Amino acid sequence: MATYFAELKNDFILNFIDEGRWRWLWEGLGNTLIITFVALLMGLAIGIVIAAVRSTFDKNRESMEMHKGFGYYVLKLSNAICHLYLTVIRGTPVVVQLLIMYFIVFATSRDSLMVAMIAFGINSGAYVAEILRGGIMSIDNGQFEAGRSLGFNYIQTMIYIIIPQVFKNVLPVLCNEFIVLLKETSVAGYVGIVDLTKAGDLIRGRTFSAFMPLIAVALIYLIMVVILTALVGVLERRLRKNER
Amino acid sequence: MNGNTPYIVVNDLQKHYKGGAIRALDGIDFSINRGEVVVIIGPSGSGKSTFLRSLNLLEIPTHGDIIVNGTNIIEKNVNIDEHRQKMCMVFQHFNLFPHMTVLKNMTLAPVKLLKKPQAEVETKALNLLKRVGLSDRAYAYPDQLSGGQKQRVAIVRALMMEPDVMLFDEPTSALDPEMVGEVLEVMKELASDGMTMVVVTHEMGFAREVGSRVIFMDDGRILEQGSPADIFGNPQNPRLKDFLSKVL
Repeated sequence: MATYFAELKNDFILNFIDEGRWRWLWEGLGNTLIITFVALLMGLAIGIVIAAVRSTFDKNRESMEMHKGFGYYVLKLSNAICHLYLTVIRGTPVVVQLLIMYFIVFATSRDSLMVAMIAFGINSGAYVAEILRGGIMSIDNGQFEAGRSLGFNYIQTMIYIIIPQVFKNVLPVLCNEFIVLLKETSVAGYVGIVDLTKAGDLIRGRTFSAFMPLIAVALIYLIMVVILTALVGVLERRLRKNER
Repeated sequence: MNGNTPYIVVNDLQKHYKGGAIRALDGIDFSINRGEVVVIIGPSGSGKSTFLRSLNLLEIPTHGDIIVNGTNIIEKNVNIDEHRQKMCMVFQHFNLFPHMTVLKNMTLAPVKLLKKPQAEVETKALNLLKRVGLSDRAYAYPDQLSGGQKQRVAIVRALMMEPDVMLFDEPTSALDPEMVGEVLEVMKELASDGMTMVVVTHEMGFAREVGSRVIFMDDGRILEQGSPADIFGNPQNPRLKDFLSKVL
């Protein structure tokens, strides 16, 4: 038993202390977090725009078909582009998207961190868009009609009546998307970024001892996810309490 | 504004689905004068609600004219939002905004759209709530109200816009029977105050008592119209006779 613990201790020192290898994990965690955070913001921005286009088209299609003006065709085209974006992004693996971004789209750039942020941001945007659109569509159409019948235009109805209700419904789902994103960034190593996963793998390659670094990486992800999930739970209860 | 011309005139209104295979509205001609209370009755699926909802373009008609106060609201350059401010609607399922108090439900539109000062609007809202017996519910949320209370709030919410005409889409159909009376009472009061109203309802008692004119619709057409006394006392159309024999 004693030898087992002594071995474990040696293993620990070898993998984390020698040559300051823990710093790889620390830096990797930093990269994981920064990619996730920037991608989240980008995804939100893209998602909001796409959800706005798609739901505006769905909700106003009939009334705009009455007088087919310029705006109708612009919106119809935008909707088609958004639809294509959603299909492509949600229909292909994120690793493949990342590789295409790095080796084809941004082939001249060696800033892999930036490319990863953009790739994950574009990927996340598709999922956020569908979460938001689902939230808008889940609001009873009577709410739209009540707003419009009082004389609010489409945008005012969205701002004063629909969005506040959507916000409550989708906030927990959006937070879960954030948690998924955090784990998905673990493929960033494919384009030469030392993120948390890659850092653990590098240590493994250097020390030829797999257990310690990989379990450490798994634990760090797990702890972050557990904490975030708990926060989402608190948020959900808070929102429900405010509900009348 | 001319007192002699009807406030709303509808010519040959049609609404098709599936490229004309289904005709929810099949050529409706209609008019209503200021101060009139027109009650629309008919079996379900007859197009009553579709017609009512066309009047403020919640349904987009396939063909026809809707001339409100001299303006054809079907025309492209008409600002329908401005028209809707004058033609408020009360829905079967109330459609109160669940994230706002009763008072906020009532004050939102006049403050944001008519740019009236908040204090003035609130005073008015509280007065209206008093009139419908809900003074103590001003700060309640819709989910805390009974169905009858919700519908009374929905009516006064519409009244806050000082509309020229009010459209009622089966306002008592979703209510428990014991709450129907309190809502009809408010509507009767409105009618006696001279409000122009178009009411789609299954409440024949209301139609008979309050309606200045009753319209019977079936298959997207107006089959018969006249005074309540004629419609209920001396119906001509066989389908109206059949309908009345089932509901009365």
